[in-house]
Amino acid sequence: MSCPKTEHLLQEYLADDLTAVARDEIEKHLLDCADCHSELEPLLMTQASLRGWQEQRVPHWNRSLNLFQHEQRSAANARGWSAWQWLPTAASCAMLAILLLNVSVLNDEQGFSISIGDRSEANAGLDAAISALQTQQRAELQELVTRVEDRLDSNSVSLLRAVMEQTQQTTAENFEQLYAYFEQQRLLDLQDMRVGYEELVNSDYETIRSLQQLATFVSYEGNVR
Amino acid sequence: MSLIEEDEALIAAALNGSAYAWEKLVKRFESRVYNLGLRLTGNPTDALDLMQEVFLGVYRNLHRFRGDAKFSSWLFRIAHNKAVDMNRRKRLMTVQSRPTSEDEDEGFDIFPGDAREEPEHKLNEIETNQRIIQLLAKLPMEQRLVVELKIFQSLTFGEIALMQEISENTAKTRFYTALKKLKDIAEDQHVLS
Repeated sequence: MSCPKTEHLLQEYLADDLTAVARDEIEKHLLDCADCHSELEPLLMTQASLRGWQEQRVPHWNRSLNLFQHEQRSAANARGWSAWQWLPTAASCAMLAILLLNVSVLNDEQGFSISIGDRSEANAGLDAAISALQTQQRAELQELVTRVEDRLDSNSVSLLRAVMEQTQQTTAENFEQLYAYFEQQRLLDLQDMRVGYEELVNSDYETIRSLQQLATFVSYEGNVR
Repeated sequence: MSLIEEDEALIAAALNGSAYAWEKLVKRFESRVYNLGLRLTGNPTDALDLMQEVFLGVYRNLHRFRGDAKFSSWLFRIAHNKAVDMNRRKRLMTVQSRPTSEDEDEGFDIFPGDAREEPEHKLNEIETNQRIIQLLAKLPMEQRLVVELKIFQSLTFGEIALMQEISENTAKTRFYTALKKLKDIAEDQHVLS
């Protein structure tokens, strides 16, 4: 579709409410423009085909006025409000009144009362009661916090003590073991020293004997000469 | 007396409680409304329901008709609104896929009974109407309504625009778009002769 006017022209042409002058202009263009003409023809054929609809006879139905009057009454009754249906509306209105008119309800030792608008005296008593309640709640909360803290502290101390005891016990046991080890090593060293000394003594003794034998031999040789 | 004057006389008499005037007024328009229902819904049951709803709406609002517009335009405005409501409730005549030659008639049996027993001219009628219904079913409801009101009810685009709460240019564009779509579908299916 290369003609830029096609869509607009065909819309107007199919609208069927053109003035005679406008229609002549469009038809003149359609004669000259192959694009617009080729676009229009199938649309007109489609339109004509749709108009080929064959009217169907209406099946039998009750068109009497009585039926419609009855339907009208039934619809009116269905729309009418029963007593039950007023309840939600009444409840909504009451809630709206409470919000808008600042309605307050008070049940105290003097009795039950409903007031509308700003009642400062009534509110003052209520405020005092609320303050007292808040103070009491704060005190209770503080006491509870203190008890929790104490419990936490005592738990911590007990735990630390147990750890220390365990640590001390472990340390003592280690020292004992260390001492026993050193003692054992000392005894072993002494034993080694004794053995070494004995060997030295034995070695010296052999040397002395050897010297004695040598001396004896030397003196014998001297005597013989 | 012209048709419009006759309509006004019948309306006045019906408002006064004349059952005869009311039935005559209904008979004057029931065929157009019923066939509108067939084209929009695709089946006689829904078409009959729609027609009854339209005339109930006409009856309820007859006292509001001022005569500043044609009675037919006013009546088809009610028909348009009832069709929109019904579509909202029932999703009238939506076609999900392109029908093949085997299932072409599926779902749009606008003629109860066995079609083989009908005389030939009746069969041709049936076939033509079935094809038109299948084509219209391919359009979204707002386009279907514009085609219905323009081609079958001969309303102006001004009247259609008021009913659909759109501008006149939008109504023309909607009609043009719908017609192009129908043309393309018909060409694809070689449906319309």
